[in-house]
Amino acid sequence: MDSIGTLTPSEYASRQRTADAVFLRQGVTFTVYGDDQGTERIFPFDLMPRIIPHKEWERVEAGLIQRITALNLFLNDVYHGQQILADKVVPAELVLSASHYRPEFKGIKVPHGIYIHICGTDLVRDDKGEYFVLEDNGRCPSGASYMLENRNAMKRTFPGLLQSLPVRPVDAYGSMLRETLAHLAPPGVIDPNIVVLTPGVYNSAYFEHCYLAKQMGVPIVEGRDLILKNGRVFMRTTHGLQQVHVIYRRIDDDFLDPLVFRKDSLLGVPGLVSAYQQGHVALANSIGTGVADDKAVYALVPKMIKYYLDQDPILPNVPTYLGVDPKECDYILNNLPNLVVKAVNESGGYGMLMGPHSTKEEQAEFAKRIAANPRNYIAQPVLQLSRHPVFQGDHFEGRHIDLRPYVLYGDRVRVVPGGLTRVALKKGSLVVNSSQGGGSKDTWVLWDDE
Amino acid sequence: MNYRITHRTTYAYSEPVAVSHHAARLHPRVTDTQRCHTFHLKFDPEPDLLTEHTDSFGNLVSCFSIQKLHNRFEVVSRSFVTLSPVLQPDPSQTPPWEEVASLFCDPVPVDLLDPCQFVFRSPLIVHEVPLRDFAQPSFKKGRPLLAAVADLSSRIYREFAFDPKATTISTPLDEVLEKKRGVCQDFAHLAIASLRAMGLPARYVSGYLRTRPPPGKPRLVGVDASHAWVSCFVPGFGWVDFDPTNNCFTSLDHITVALGRDFSDVSPVRGIITGGGDHTVAVGVDVEPVDA
Repeated sequence: MDSIGTLTPSEYASRQRTADAVFLRQGVTFTVYGDDQGTERIFPFDLMPRIIPHKEWERVEAGLIQRITALNLFLNDVYHGQQILADKVVPAELVLSASHYRPEFKGIKVPHGIYIHICGTDLVRDDKGEYFVLEDNGRCPSGASYMLENRNAMKRTFPGLLQSLPVRPVDAYGSMLRETLAHLAPPGVIDPNIVVLTPGVYNSAYFEHCYLAKQMGVPIVEGRDLILKNGRVFMRTTHGLQQVHVIYRRIDDDFLDPLVFRKDSLLGVPGLVSAYQQGHVALANSIGTGVADDKAVYALVPKMIKYYLDQDPILPNVPTYLGVDPKECDYILNNLPNLVVKAVNESGGYGMLMGPHSTKEEQAEFAKRIAANPRNYIAQPVLQLSRHPVFQGDHFEGRHIDLRPYVLYGDRVRVVPGGLTRVALKKGSLVVNSSQGGGSKDTWVLWDDE
Repeated sequence: MNYRITHRTTYAYSEPVAVSHHAARLHPRVTDTQRCHTFHLKFDPEPDLLTEHTDSFGNLVSCFSIQKLHNRFEVVSRSFVTLSPVLQPDPSQTPPWEEVASLFCDPVPVDLLDPCQFVFRSPLIVHEVPLRDFAQPSFKKGRPLLAAVADLSSRIYREFAFDPKATTISTPLDEVLEKKRGVCQDFAHLAIASLRAMGLPARYVSGYLRTRPPPGKPRLVGVDASHAWVSCFVPGFGWVDFDPTNNCFTSLDHITVALGRDFSDVSPVRGIITGGGDHTVAVGVDVEPVDA
């Protein structure tokens, strides 16, 4: 660490410019919807790495493995026997009304009974240093490419530094992801053809789709590149049609197959769901996983862990008030200035109210929306998120951070040692989403020092 | 009552279609009061691939793909069904609607999990607040469930005009509510949305109506095409179907084909084509009563 510690502010600033140049040249971008200043942005990067000691990470890792295991058992149950609803462990009303619950998909067998293969779980730490789960992203979690690029930028800016430090590498993510996907291939296929299915260049995570395809050494396709023939999925190539066995899809359920879901979708592949049902092609993640990352269902995950695994959750949830519960809804409406209110199906920091930073008008607007559709809202107390130094021109200032580690569920569950540390670059802001002006940091998980 | 049913769907395209995929829900349901003796699908041209599965609402789905150039496509389903009279509970003896709605609040009894999935919004029925205002007058305090349903049905029948030109398949409900006109699909959606707005489960039913009325009776509205009506849940009894387009509870004239949350779950023939240019669809339904 000395090589960073001994830098003068101006030397440090010049290193930061080097890192910025790496991002610009690599074209590490994301897209902001609904902004006039252009769609594609460079993802802001702060040079000061976030360091996680081995002991701390062990706990995070165990907690994440426990959580994804329970979530998958829950999904398998919800789409088959619905035993957990029959046993009244979680309210049926809440689960069946989730807008990402797909009754169309009930009773369909998925490879190995796994629904969420790739999960990005958002963690935060409070003022006592305790980790909490903020939300699970079990549909199409993004950000893994930024985790990889952050490490890459660190290596270029401080050549040789990482070799001398006990920092665990994250570079294996591409090959781990590939192994996870290959595990899903239909039985008997030894060398499966894997593709990344993207909605196209205008999607906010298009950079990532390309990047991950490149890391895995597999083609990236759009819906129009795939066709169905004899119940199997084929990719149009310059050498003719080639069968596809596993699709890492980065398209939402709604757009996946116009024959089953939204009819007006031009992004998907007609007949894909039927091919999936027949087991000729595998999808990751599976269909209908959104019911598990509905923000109201999130509140029930500790109960699922108890029910399916008979364990106590290693990583606790943030206390959550559900709009659907009349008592809790009253509490939310009476305490708007002190709460964070979120719409249950929005992500990326859209559709939320930060109570302490909101105006009276905003609160009134949200009160109206909550009263009109209470099921659609949850609220959480404002956590004093941990802060981390961020370089601001010529000095460091504390900024709030979170952590999104990536969990892969193939033949076993693996957690990439690291993740994406997002940082709220605006002073005092608690919103770290890149779409709301957040940046990121490299995340160093250390080897055991013994 | 026996019926011989023919349902013909013909697509004509201005340009050749290279590949088409279709999903059809045409097989009449088997219920306590309805039996389906025969069912055949005839295609022209013949599909290259044909598979069948049962969806999560219990409807039989036939999926077929045509992988050679074609300018038109026709699917004809023929079935022979027998209907026996539906036993209807006395509306005044059904429980008050509030009591029924309260069953679907947490915790939901295990045996009500299935109807429970029809309490919530669905792909085509997402409006809640204005519909509560619309539904309210029928749901007076303490009114028996089916009495309220009958009142809702007769209000839709009286206040709305049947007008095939007023709406299309994708007309949203608030427009129907504003124009006060529509077709059976709109009226069914309206009734379902009203029931759900009051916290009650409601299903969309697609099916057929008897084409020729019995002697001396008027011809029902909605014949010669697929028809749609609504199913509401009466605890202790089961699902009871009513038809807001004709303002009646269903019996020997209504043949059930498919069930779902709304039209999007049951559309009789749904397809995706590559190529084709402009296309036209012609649907013909014939429901012929047959003496036993």
